[in-house]
Amino acid sequence: MNTEQLIFYFFAALLLTSALMVVAMQNLVRSIFLFFVSLFSLAALYVFALADFIAITQVVIYVGGVLVLMLFAFMLSNKELLNSLQPIKTGFKFYQLTGIFICLAFLFILVSLNLQIDFSGLKWIKSSTTIKEIDNTTHNIGILSMTRYLLPFEVLSVFLMMALIGAAHLARKGNKI
Amino acid sequence: MNFYLTYVLVASALFAFTALFTLFALYSERKISAFIQDRLGPMEVGKYGSLQAFADILKMLQKEFIIPTAADKILFILAPIIIFVSVYLGFAALPWAPGLIPASLNLGIFYIFAVLSIETLGILMAGWGSNNKYALLGSMRSVAQMVSYEIPTGLSILSVVMISQSLNLQEITIRQGILSSEAVNFLGIYDVKAIGGILSWNVFQAPHLIIAYIIYFIASLAECNRAPFDIPEAESELIGGFHVEYSGLRFAFIFLAEYSMMFLVGMIGVVLFLGGWNSPLPNMGSVSLANWTTGIGWGIFWILLKTLSVVAMQIWIRWTLPRFRVDQLMSLCWKVLTPLAFLCMLISGIWRLTMM
Repeated sequence: MNTEQLIFYFFAALLLTSALMVVAMQNLVRSIFLFFVSLFSLAALYVFALADFIAITQVVIYVGGVLVLMLFAFMLSNKELLNSLQPIKTGFKFYQLTGIFICLAFLFILVSLNLQIDFSGLKWIKSSTTIKEIDNTTHNIGILSMTRYLLPFEVLSVFLMMALIGAAHLARKGNKI
Repeated sequence: MNFYLTYVLVASALFAFTALFTLFALYSERKISAFIQDRLGPMEVGKYGSLQAFADILKMLQKEFIIPTAADKILFILAPIIIFVSVYLGFAALPWAPGLIPASLNLGIFYIFAVLSIETLGILMAGWGSNNKYALLGSMRSVAQMVSYEIPTGLSILSVVMISQSLNLQEITIRQGILSSEAVNFLGIYDVKAIGGILSWNVFQAPHLIIAYIIYFIASLAECNRAPFDIPEAESELIGGFHVEYSGLRFAFIFLAEYSMMFLVGMIGVVLFLGGWNSPLPNMGSVSLANWTTGIGWGIFWILLKTLSVVAMQIWIRWTLPRFRVDQLMSLCWKVLTPLAFLCMLISGIWRLTMM
């Protein structure tokens, strides 16, 4: 195993363990901080896929934005409310059976697909040009989002605008709503 | 194997630099504040108090680690490390001289912006982990301020990036001097590629960037939690903000992070707006000052000189202006700086399309 593989498996293991611990941990604040670890290791995995722009965007949006927002919501909310959320009932329940079933089904699909596909012979992998480490991916992203993916890009911007207007409307004080 | 050795050496050199800079800045902050308030400042330790900073560090190293009983121990211990490392990571992508940059990333400035946003997480961690209402209030204030001021900072950075068409800090710097491969236009009209010097800096290539730089400078003060935006630390209301409970080496790390952040934001501003390592002296006929004063040694000299002057300005502002109130701080950010930054970005777009 070379160094790159070692680093990859390190981050993959970190991502899986931290994600599991986020769900399993009783202490809510600590689980939010652990969520940071899993988001960060996901960003590291993006770097391995040569998607450096996505990796950095992941850090800016999820760590700098979403996570801070979650912590804010947590710290500003009522302590009594949080206490009532804290105890998690242990023991097996019937509704957990559906969850387990769905998980197993997904696992089955993934494993069976993985066994069927011959990865090196795939047509779109053979035909597409490969990206090198030194390529400026931002340039491609900029050009593609202004030409080929212009409609999704504009729809997204309108959607974000709607969210902003909604937030401003909710935050506005005044007698009529 | 040499490959990895270089990485370690560069990283330790940068760490040593941040530590040295903090020592230097500590002393200069005391002396400048004393000058502004008509005092003498530290005079006891060494000649003119020059060993005061070392005495401070020695005191901090000797102090006991105190962890409050009710504190969340893991978060409390991890917080100063995260705060410092997030600032320290930013130094990786900063150019020091022609060809001298620790990591020449295509996404340099975006990367720095991303790792600096991790610092807010560390501050929240410190505030929550301390289990102290003042610490929590301080960290909430600090994060609200930093998240708000990231918007004018980001927009003013964007207006530079639109002009220079690159996120790589080394390329942005090269485009502001005699080494540029493209035309460098003073005020968008006169080609000064052969002259170089102060005329080819970004703020003079496109004059609206002066406003963008002022916005960036104000917002960067808020991002380092420096006065007049130091409400997170407001001694008179909150004792000391998010780091009330910290002592000894852990406090030293928070302090180190604060001073490194000052240098970092100053240097980013210098690279983006004030020419980076390019010489301010222009070529005048046969006296080609710009050609003579460009090189690795000169590059380091110029960027240090420019950045230290910006840091001196930050210190000067801290000891001259009173602290903002929370609502004034927010209305300054959202009602003045953000619209102005949007305007700068718009002008940059028009400038790029028409003048270049």
